[in-house]
Amino acid sequence: MRPFSYTAPATVAEAVDALAASGPGTKILAGGTTLYDLMKLDIEAPAAVVDVHRLTEIAAIDTTDPGEFSFGAAARMADVADDPVLRRDFPALAESLAKAASQQLRNMATVGGNLLQRTRCGYFRGGPAFPCNKREPGSGCAALGGLDRGHAIFGGSDTCVATYPGDWAVALRAFDAVVDVIGPRGERTVAIADLHVEPGDTPQREHTLAGDELIVRIRVPVAPSSRGSTYHKIRDRESYAFALVSVAAGVAFDDQGAVEDCRIALGGVATLPWRCPAAEMVLTGERLTEESALRAGEAAFAGARPRAHNVFKIELGIRTVADALRIAGERAVR
Amino acid sequence: MSAPTQRVDARLKVTGAARYGADLTSPNLAHAVFAVSTIGKGRVVNVETAAAEAVPGVLMVLTRFDASDLGSPGFLMGHGYGFQSLQPLVDDRIAYRGQPIALVVADTLIAATEAANLIRADYEIEPIAVALDAEGAETLSQQEAIPLPFLADIVVGDAGAAFDASPVRIEATFDLPQQHQVPMELIGGVVGWRGDTLVVHEGTQNAGALRGGLARQLGLDPAKIEIISPYTGGGFGQKNSLQPHVGPLALASRRLGRPIKFVMPRTQTFHQASFRPASRQLVRLGADETGRLLAAVHEVDQQTSRHDLFPALYTEITSRLYGIGQFRGRHRLVRTDVQTPGFMRAPWEQAAAFAFESVVDEIAYALGQDPVALRLANDADVDPVTGQPFSSRHLAECLRRGADMFGWAGRTHEPGSMRGADGTQIGWGVASGAYPASIAPAVARLSAAADGKVTVGVDGHEMGQGIRTAIVRLISEDLSVAAEDVIVYVGDTRVAPQHLTAGSWGTATALQAVHAALRDLRKRLNVADSDPVDVEALVAATGQATVDVEATTVAPGQPPEIIEQSRAGLVSFAGPVYPGFTAFSFIAHFAEVRIEPTTRRIRVPRVVSVVDCGRVASPVTAVSQVRGGVVWGIGGALRERSEVDPRYGGFANATMEEYPIPVNADIGEVEVGFVDEPDLLLNPVGVKGLGEVSMVGVAAAIANAVFHATGRRHRRLPIRIEDVL
Amino acid sequence: MTAIVRRSGGNPTNAPDGGLCLALGDMGSSEATLSSAIRTETAFTVNGLRVKMELDPRESLLDVLRERLGLTGTKKGCDHGQCGACTVHLDGRRIVSCLTPAVQVNGQAVTTIEGVAAPDGTLHPLQEAFIDNDALQCGYCTPGQVMSGLACIAEGHAGDDDEIREYLSGNLCRCGAYAGILAAVRETARRTDPRVGEG
Ligand SMILES: Cc1cc2nc3c(=O)[nH]c(=O)nc-3n(C[C@H](O)[C@H](O)[C@H](O)COP(=O)(O)OP(=O)(O)OC[C@H]3O[C@@H](n4cnc5c(N)ncnc54)[C@H](O)[C@@H]3O)c2cc1C
Ligand code: SF4
Ligand code: FES
Ligand code: FES
Ligand code: FES
Ligand code: FES
Repeated sequence: MRPFSYTAPATVAEAVDALAASGPGTKILAGGTTLYDLMKLDIEAPAAVVDVHRLTEIAAIDTTDPGEFSFGAAARMADVADDPVLRRDFPALAESLAKAASQQLRNMATVGGNLLQRTRCGYFRGGPAFPCNKREPGSGCAALGGLDRGHAIFGGSDTCVATYPGDWAVALRAFDAVVDVIGPRGERTVAIADLHVEPGDTPQREHTLAGDELIVRIRVPVAPSSRGSTYHKIRDRESYAFALVSVAAGVAFDDQGAVEDCRIALGGVATLPWRCPAAEMVLTGERLTEESALRAGEAAFAGARPRAHNVFKIELGIRTVADALRIAGERAVR
Repeated sequence: MSAPTQRVDARLKVTGAARYGADLTSPNLAHAVFAVSTIGKGRVVNVETAAAEAVPGVLMVLTRFDASDLGSPGFLMGHGYGFQSLQPLVDDRIAYRGQPIALVVADTLIAATEAANLIRADYEIEPIAVALDAEGAETLSQQEAIPLPFLADIVVGDAGAAFDASPVRIEATFDLPQQHQVPMELIGGVVGWRGDTLVVHEGTQNAGALRGGLARQLGLDPAKIEIISPYTGGGFGQKNSLQPHVGPLALASRRLGRPIKFVMPRTQTFHQASFRPASRQLVRLGADETGRLLAAVHEVDQQTSRHDLFPALYTEITSRLYGIGQFRGRHRLVRTDVQTPGFMRAPWEQAAAFAFESVVDEIAYALGQDPVALRLANDADVDPVTGQPFSSRHLAECLRRGADMFGWAGRTHEPGSMRGADGTQIGWGVASGAYPASIAPAVARLSAAADGKVTVGVDGHEMGQGIRTAIVRLISEDLSVAAEDVIVYVGDTRVAPQHLTAGSWGTATALQAVHAALRDLRKRLNVADSDPVDVEALVAATGQATVDVEATTVAPGQPPEIIEQSRAGLVSFAGPVYPGFTAFSFIAHFAEVRIEPTTRRIRVPRVVSVVDCGRVASPVTAVSQVRGGVVWGIGGALRERSEVDPRYGGFANATMEEYPIPVNADIGEVEVGFVDEPDLLLNPVGVKGLGEVSMVGVAAAIANAVFHATGRRHRRLPIRIEDVL
Repeated sequence: MTAIVRRSGGNPTNAPDGGLCLALGDMGSSEATLSSAIRTETAFTVNGLRVKMELDPRESLLDVLRERLGLTGTKKGCDHGQCGACTVHLDGRRIVSCLTPAVQVNGQAVTTIEGVAAPDGTLHPLQEAFIDNDALQCGYCTPGQVMSGLACIAEGHAGDDDEIREYLSGNLCRCGAYAGILAAVRETARRTDPRVGEG
């Protein structure tokens, strides 16, 4: 790890000042479970770190407004996952956190930092033995023609096919969350859909926030399908693993029993949280059956571009979508 | 006095007080980190160390040792001490990715790590072959390459012809992956000097090899080397020999005049120690229409390194699992560009049993017979290879009792015939396993004191298998002393040679020596072997503070001089073929799998395992050993595979995240039974081995259960979700 | 540095390690120097005792506990949050100390395995249950398992076997002592919270 200077501002205002004052090599530190980890691997090397981990100002969890839930960026994953209202009224969000990492990590990690976690691509994390455009722009991509079982089948480019590994952002993407940020140039709100970017020719650039912009909160509109929702995560072991395929799904039915609100987003298969409007369209206005759920799954995976070792993600993904819709449907109020 | 039922070192372990190799702290410790090769093979042309040296706190950066200061330790399986013969940092050759190219020593771990990351090297790169069938991999016949009797192909009768003539024939080829031991304790410890004595604190299964190997490498008198390893945080074969970091650390420490702590980063443990080699296994099995097995052929190609021949012994068990009259084994070794592979829990037997027991199951299905019944009908009464009796063999009892405990009678035969209400496919599978019962020479020094305390120092290492508990139980029972009054030293070259503890011979070996020492002690105290003892009174009566005895034991048929070989730190065990008998442990596993109807996750809600390991020396720790073996079997069957990218060499998933060992949520009910019949032919305490046999056959039972659930056979491990979609 | 930290244990039974420190002897002592110019004063408590020290912000809590405070009960298995061996409590919640920069715990309370048993050596019921259920083999993951198990119960995540398994899955055990660990946590949860496991 390279030496760095450390400051722990006591307020958001101080944090903004500290970010404004420090140079481009400055990084925001929250739980550190991505940043400090990558610093240990010598992949991130900030010259200065501004610690926002204990800014209680931005740690509140508010699930009292029936129209919109809001989560301070520094709220811990574990606390949000255990929020009783969220578990009841918006299970997809709670489950996306509960099924991530381990309880120890969830006690440390923040829901803001979670959004900006970086890929688990082994070549990226493996260091200088491997070319990696994300780690070292222009060096090439070892995953192309390599071990790509875990890599993306959506949103990849000729320079990078690394999967966005997070779960929470996938659930947020399904439900049109927004992110409030503050920086030296003031405050702004970014739709979760506009937060992450595909790798294109610049895989080192993963999101649209400036280095001095601080996420303060995440807001999620409560949708008709919030209650009938789930986060279904398939992985190589039963727990403590990233997704092979995951699906955030929500459904709500009209009086006739037809689907009137449908949400589907995918994790583990794309370079960013992947919403599936075409699949949602398949179900909207239809009855949710095993057959229609599978059709939605097929629509979700139409256009996938698998690589040598991850063709199976298509079939697995289709079935995971169908299963997720079934679970969500069972929870929905009819 | 009743022997303790609990693990005797459990209290230390649940309080964090047990001290492992790297737990030694001292204000003057320096810290070391290796920089490693980023290429798969070739030469280091130049190592750039200036930036590293400039890091504040860095004490030394070493890129090359003189070969006369740091010789080869020799290869463990070639009358040497090292996990491999190759000693890095003595020349410019790079044999595998991850090989050390520099050693950084600094005041702090932070500085050493920062500096090691700043080291850059220029290389001349050579093409690599890392897979069994890669261009450039070199295949050798084992019996020609290593002409030693125990490595010769096992041939009984004419199995080829008998197979061809068999009315029912099954032939299949299996691909088994590389796997890594991944003990929780990282490799490393503290190396330093007390005057001219080298002292090494490191978790190991083979303190004797560390001493002997360092003596050879550094040209030291073994008497001037102490290896201290009271606790090993899991070994599983990874820590069974001298590893190449210790020699350089010893030299650096001497130069520096400070002890050095070294804790190998997890990713480096995948490259600087052994692993389970890849293998390809062809099995041919022939039977008559009644289900009598007539002939078996088992041919294996196993990976090794360029610089060492890690031998293959897959057919040792498959030739003995059943009473098959005609058997032909063949082992070939395939040289590839890796560090030398080696032992990992049930090193050959896990893979061999998976292949062979899959085919046995398949033949039962080809005949329409129950897989348990077919196995029972083909039990062996003598060792089919040598014709001599088994010291003991209760495999049939394991199968019968296991079937009972599992409720096997409730199984329906047809694949796919058992389903849950939601369409979950349920499969029940069975497999047998065996593991050679070996014994090593050992020394036990026992000291009974007038205050009633008994101290024993003996060959053996505590890596969690419970050897300390078994020793305390034996002494406590024999001498009627309280468990708290028995003090055990293991893993310590100051008290005994410390022969390699592996191959499940540790407990039998140590107990046999302690047992002999107890006999001697009784003689010295003038009590008959069966009479009760009052240690306090009897020692006091001698007028001395302590009565000390020393006993040396060897395996049946071994000459007493073999102890000298063991004292030198060399592998000296014997078995499973002894004069007059052959000794194996046996096991039967029964597994239930459940496969989800849609997303096809495979789960193993329950396993029943019944073991014939001779007398159960310590019931509580023995159950844990078997459960652990089953967890390993589940990992081996469904999870673990060390990934190799043929372009880069080394291992690609060298972390605890990407190499998915099972987590708590992966493990269901594991019920364990013991036949518990002492094997008194093998040794007077009646103990065979347990640690390894407990995982042999688990993967086959699971794969057979998957077949029963789905109707599909699997020829590769692990069986992952994409294989059953 | 004013670190005074209680060692638990007393005299080990059957397992002498008294020779451990002595065996190395004294090879001269040069006080380790910090390699970084950027130091940060950090104050926190460990097992109830106050610690104040100058830290390089790069140092992990795990390395500070082990190398600077001599609290070696907390283990390193991966150094990257992937195994749980380094689990400690921070203000009563379980975390992995390897991914915690030590400067971050300024003003907070750290509890390690050494602080779990009572000062007189009486074990916590969960420690007893680990022994009774033989929930360990090599013992290397055990301190982390105990810390995690304590937190699992305190969080209310020990309701049934599946929940315990899930909430202890952040602690790998290569020896495969999972069945015993499950039993120990279940038993202790029932004993400390009568509502748990009754239906
Ligand atoms: C072993 C392991 C397993 C894991 N498994 C999973 C899993 O299954 N699913 C999953 O989703 N995640 C998983 N994770 C990832 C984990 O959830 C993330 O690392 C974590 O959520 C990041 O949050 P943090 O607070 O620790 O962020 P940090 O590591 O502190 O920061 C992460 C990034 O976000 C930036 N940042 C942090 N806070 C802010 C803010 N308020 N404003 C702007 N930028 C900010 C930082 O600068 C940094 O770039 C795993 C991690 C580990 C180590
Ligand atoms: S997929 Fe992306 S992150 Fe992975 S090696 Fe290629 S460029 Fe790097
Ligand atoms: S190698 Fe990149 S995700 Fe596995
Ligand atoms: S794993 Fe080989 S001795 Fe136990
Ligand atoms: S050492 Fe911290 S999680 Fe492994
Ligand atoms: S007891 Fe050995 S790793 Fe858990």
